[in-house]
Amino acid sequence: MNQPRILIFACKWCGFIGADAAGKKRTSLPSQFRIIPVECASLVETDAILRALAGGIDGIAVLGCHIGGCRYNNANHTAIKRLELLQDLLDTTGIGRSRLLLSFGTAHEDYQFEEIIKNFFDELILLPPLDPWLSPFGVIS
Amino acid sequence: MTGFEHTQNTKKNAVLVVGGGVAGITASLDLANAGHTVHLVENKSHLGGQVSELDKLYPTDHCAFCPLWTDVKKCMEHSLITVHTLSHVKGLEKENGNCSAVILRSPRYIDEKKCVFCGRCEKECPVGAIHSEWEHLNPPSFVIDEALCTQCGNCTNVCPSDAINMELKEEEIHLLVSYVIWATGFKEADIHHLKEYGSGTHPDIMTSMEFEEWTAEAGTNRGTIIKKSDGAVPANIAFIQCAGARDLRMIPSCSAVCCMHALKQAEWVKRRNKGIDCWIFYTDLRTVGRDYYRYSLRDFEGAGINLVRGRPGLIHPLPGGKGIAVQFENTITQKREIRRFDIVILNGNIQPSLIQLRSEQSEKTVVPQINKEGFVITESDETPDFACGFGLEPADVAESVIQASATAMRVINKESDQW
Amino acid sequence: MANISVFLCKCFGEIDNTVDFDFLRKELSKNPSIVLISTVDSLCLETDIEKTVSRIKESNSEKVLIAACSILSRGNLVVESLIKEGIERHKIGLVDIREGCAWIHGDDPAGVTKKAKDLINIGIAALQHKELSDDMSVTVHPNALIIGAGPAGLAAAISLAKTRFKVNILERSKAPGGMLRLISRCYPGNEDASNKLEPYIREVENNPLITFYPQSKIASIEGDTGNFTVHFSSQEKDSSIKSGVIIIATGAKIFFPTGLYGYGEIKNVITQMEFERQILNGSLETKKPVFIQCVGARDKKRPYCSTICCPISLKNASRIAEDVPGASVFILHRGIMTPGNTLEKYYRDTLASGVQFIRFEEEHPPRIIGSDHVESVEVYDAITGITRKIETDLVVLSTPLVPNNDNAQLAKMMDIEVDRYGFFSEIYPMHPLETKTDGIFICGSARWPVSSDNSILQGKAAAMKAVSYLRQSKITASTLSRVPGLKAGHARVVTESCTGCGNCVAACPFNACHLEKMEGRYISVVNMMKCKACGSCVSVCPNGSVQIPEHNYRMVGEMIKMAF
Repeated sequence: MNQPRILIFACKWCGFIGADAAGKKRTSLPSQFRIIPVECASLVETDAILRALAGGIDGIAVLGCHIGGCRYNNANHTAIKRLELLQDLLDTTGIGRSRLLLSFGTAHEDYQFEEIIKNFFDELILLPPLDPWLSPFGVIS
Repeated sequence: MTGFEHTQNTKKNAVLVVGGGVAGITASLDLANAGHTVHLVENKSHLGGQVSELDKLYPTDHCAFCPLWTDVKKCMEHSLITVHTLSHVKGLEKENGNCSAVILRSPRYIDEKKCVFCGRCEKECPVGAIHSEWEHLNPPSFVIDEALCTQCGNCTNVCPSDAINMELKEEEIHLLVSYVIWATGFKEADIHHLKEYGSGTHPDIMTSMEFEEWTAEAGTNRGTIIKKSDGAVPANIAFIQCAGARDLRMIPSCSAVCCMHALKQAEWVKRRNKGIDCWIFYTDLRTVGRDYYRYSLRDFEGAGINLVRGRPGLIHPLPGGKGIAVQFENTITQKREIRRFDIVILNGNIQPSLIQLRSEQSEKTVVPQINKEGFVITESDETPDFACGFGLEPADVAESVIQASATAMRVINKESDQW
Repeated sequence: MANISVFLCKCFGEIDNTVDFDFLRKELSKNPSIVLISTVDSLCLETDIEKTVSRIKESNSEKVLIAACSILSRGNLVVESLIKEGIERHKIGLVDIREGCAWIHGDDPAGVTKKAKDLINIGIAALQHKELSDDMSVTVHPNALIIGAGPAGLAAAISLAKTRFKVNILERSKAPGGMLRLISRCYPGNEDASNKLEPYIREVENNPLITFYPQSKIASIEGDTGNFTVHFSSQEKDSSIKSGVIIIATGAKIFFPTGLYGYGEIKNVITQMEFERQILNGSLETKKPVFIQCVGARDKKRPYCSTICCPISLKNASRIAEDVPGASVFILHRGIMTPGNTLEKYYRDTLASGVQFIRFEEEHPPRIIGSDHVESVEVYDAITGITRKIETDLVVLSTPLVPNNDNAQLAKMMDIEVDRYGFFSEIYPMHPLETKTDGIFICGSARWPVSSDNSILQGKAAAMKAVSYLRQSKITASTLSRVPGLKAGHARVVTESCTGCGNCVAACPFNACHLEKMEGRYISVVNMMKCKACGSCVSVCPNGSVQIPEHNYRMVGEMIKMAF
């Protein structure tokens, strides 16, 4: 069975702590996700998300700190607004907002990270694969 | 902070900071950033104090973990700060303007510098005496609970990095310091003898910190609110303020933090389960800090938090598992009522930890001069003792941290022998 | 592509009992830029780090990739030990194949090894394309500027002077002392205010390290941490001072409750400050005062508690109760705000001195009775439910401290913020005296209403924070980090492609970007002292001109390509 492929951008603070906690508690998780740590969720460019989708990755998750908790003076506020706008854009282009998961402050415990990732996998499995001609970089096998 | 070149290269005197809570951490970082050597002594196996037991902070509803963890990390990585966990001050002798301090460090058995966190020791321990400590330790490590350990040696055999040594004994560390800062914080006090509060008579009559752990996102129940007695969802929760505090029988002072703490806990109960009715029984709702008053005005779409002015006269469990009765007078409506509650939280019975330390282990631990209520007396100019945080005056995080910085400044100024 | 050494940590079997290291080694050797692959039992416990480093040098590697545990575990220890041996930080990469791989996919043998391979490849891509940010250092001016000479500013100034730093104090009025000059006694010790103030003023006058500028007005503030320049005028003379740090101690304003409780219309309805003035000029005459709390505070317009008004009433009420024989003193309140040990005792003592307390609710405020001068106060006693009429000869209104009118303007000059009420904002929760701009501190009632004792405490605390900056001869921008250790980098603008659109200027939470005219067009310039490498600018730049070199566009693209 082909598990969907998930790329996670996790901020090194609240975003990453849940994943790390899940690791320390040896929670069993499906293996088809990769985490790229970033300094702050505001560093996650729209472009990077689109390139990832175009390159054959089925779902992108952005994990950041909860509103009011960003140590970069609420940089995550602008990030959330921008990424929610991106979700709207994904809807209008037929890709669908469900391919972009936003979790700001809701994945900082190990069981929260587990739940969010497992739910994301379950959602993505139900979606049809992205059309191959959308990936100019070639299909990743 | 790394890579700094200090202008004033004169050697600075060492300072002993007793207590690794927010006040102790802040004072240590301030002194170390100004060039002083600091020895930070902490009873527990990790830094963070009472704030490391909290789930959320008021008035921002931040998680307590992240900001605390940042400063704990800075403390542990600072080249001028030596952290002594599992330690207490055994001896303190003042001579010629200096203090020779003796720190007694309880053996950790598992060397945190060698522990790779594999957890094999925890698995092999037959009595469950080993648990992991990673939230505030850096790097993370496992810890052996001495009280439960049977010395079977299983853990030592399986440890791949030879980090465990059960032969370790208590270690005495001798230090020469110029000043001592007491930042020992608070502890919850036993109020069983104040019979009207019913402390200990029912599993759902809890103290504030018990409830915090019980409902913490990282705690036992992962943020869900259930009763301790039968695991069911409570219909209502009563927060009893000034339980033991502002009480001439016991703690005459006001504990300063409990009103906001109850509001914060009620807020989070509502966030997790809107249907649970929250009642706060107060005398004066002390909301003096920034945004505190606005915090108390929150109204959850009309299903707000019921604020009742009155100190309950009797709290007792009802027979047949029917909950807890709280008898009170609403002093604003002058109506007396008895209401049934599923959970009752007693808030206010916190006192400086030194008062308990003094009565418990007077030979083993040095305690500075404290007054009747347990607060450090620092009026004298002759002593090298300073104090900050709850041990000096009941204070919340912001106040404790401010006091800590001011105390560090006073220590530095005392160096110049003036002010 | 640079040559890379890859070190795989087995972690005593914790990693290699699930991840197939042979497969990893085989796959990695296919990559021509990997010149050394080494498998180690435990990298963090390796005693012979020099041997590791010499192996790296012998293999002609430029960069090092470590595949081990998480950076929150022991991974950073290995990185730090390599840095100590002389390998540069940006040439080391760390990949987590333990918490992030081996420990969570133990029941998926094919998946776990593939993931480890992919994570390492992502790490290699990141390492190959990571660049190094610029950095800068400034020499710290070893002097402090304090704005405001009330108790907070004076305490800060003297603490700093005792630490042998030069201090300049700018004060709006003619003399130092702030509100302490206007009151007679300070709570809770009932210390005489002028006695309390006197040693501070003496010190300011006599200490050669302190320069006092009266009647000052600030025109503008430039510069950054360690190197601020303040342009101001003092006694009509223009001047400017360079400073390493700035402490804001401008205090707060008194609120005049015009229209409330007949203030301004009925005689003998005064504020607490006027009560103090009458004490100071000897004109106070009262036997039956009534103090009313929360006048203009804890209401819709000013939904905050001003902290000091309850203790002030306790101070003034107990004074009358103790000094005037046969006095009848009332405090009408909505809750006595005396948290803590000292203040609660003060409350008990005031009760014992015979002052009577009546609680009223916000919906039923007291009513002043009297046309030309006050005769009595009618109040619905919320606790007894009885409406009482209290004869009085003086009504004293406790009003809140309100922010100074120019707080917002001053904040703008320094790139810091004010809160919803107008007081200067702090960094929650553990840095209450620090602001958005490093090196600028707030204390006293400019931050939030506080007593004179607490103002002094906060002044000393702010001075402490200032000392850690001033005691450095140089400040390097990368150390002004919001996190333990150094910053992740600094944003860098490619001037050739920057169109001067200004998105980054708007998006930066620290105001680190600004537009400058260069060669006839506008280009964004990043101020490294302010930049915290959060990346807000990067994600709003329409053509990728601003990047964080350690996490640049190309690097992210290559990482994504290697992800699966």
